[in-house]
Amino acid sequence: MKRLLPWLLWIWITLVILGAFLYAPLAEGFIGDSSRILFFHVPMAWSAFVAFIAAGVWSARFLFGGRQAHHDRAAAAAVEVGLVFCILATASGSIWAKVMWGAYWNWDPRQVWITVAILFYGAYLTLRSAVLDRETARRLAGAYGVLGLVVAPFLFFILPRMTGFTLHPEPVLNQAGKVEMNPQMLQVLIAGSLAFMVLFFWIHRLRCRIAAISEAREAAGGGLTSHG
Amino acid sequence: MGDNGVLIANLVIWTGIFLYLLYLDRKVRDLERDR
Repeated sequence: MKRLLPWLLWIWITLVILGAFLYAPLAEGFIGDSSRILFFHVPMAWSAFVAFIAAGVWSARFLFGGRQAHHDRAAAAAVEVGLVFCILATASGSIWAKVMWGAYWNWDPRQVWITVAILFYGAYLTLRSAVLDRETARRLAGAYGVLGLVVAPFLFFILPRMTGFTLHPEPVLNQAGKVEMNPQMLQVLIAGSLAFMVLFFWIHRLRCRIAAISEAREAAGGGLTSHG
Repeated sequence: MGDNGVLIANLVIWTGIFLYLLYLDRKVRDLERDR
């Protein structure tokens, strides 16, 4: 059964891709087929947010739950994989922006704050690798990760909405608290968001296992790669 | 590239990523067994 799970994910994301192109209608007011990017751009941004929150939770578990190395490895892996999702969300958003707004970069509040999020979590990885003593690095990274629990919701949801101006369309859950999206589009978007989160946790688990092997080898005098 | 071309490119890229992750999964399992 365990071996079957990845294949279920393959079928799931394949269905999301087919749904995005063949099932969901094009959104009104968008140039050409560009609205289809929505089904990949939003799930990647969501997964990045979930990854950063998960990193904060694992950091807190490391700091306040007995300083277990596997919690620290889980936090670091969540930031690494979350950053990949975040960069992909930004890149796909930029391509969409080029089609819709005429330029890859438009100083839109969401573009700006997601870039700040990339820098914030990039600094987390820099901090980990800059401190040579492993235990100190883990403690500092843990505190930084917990700080992310407060910072990430601000960067993803609060700050982009504080400025009156935005080029982005209304969020899926609009200001009136209603979802005004075509039901077929919404189905594909939700299925895509859940699938990308499962994909994140699969990659995350792989990264944690690799880090554990690497640490064990380092302790034995060899090593694959350094992880903090 | 037409609509179908983009769809096929998406499916090929996803399948490529998936097969690589599957390969990595097997590789990690082998390494864990060797420990």
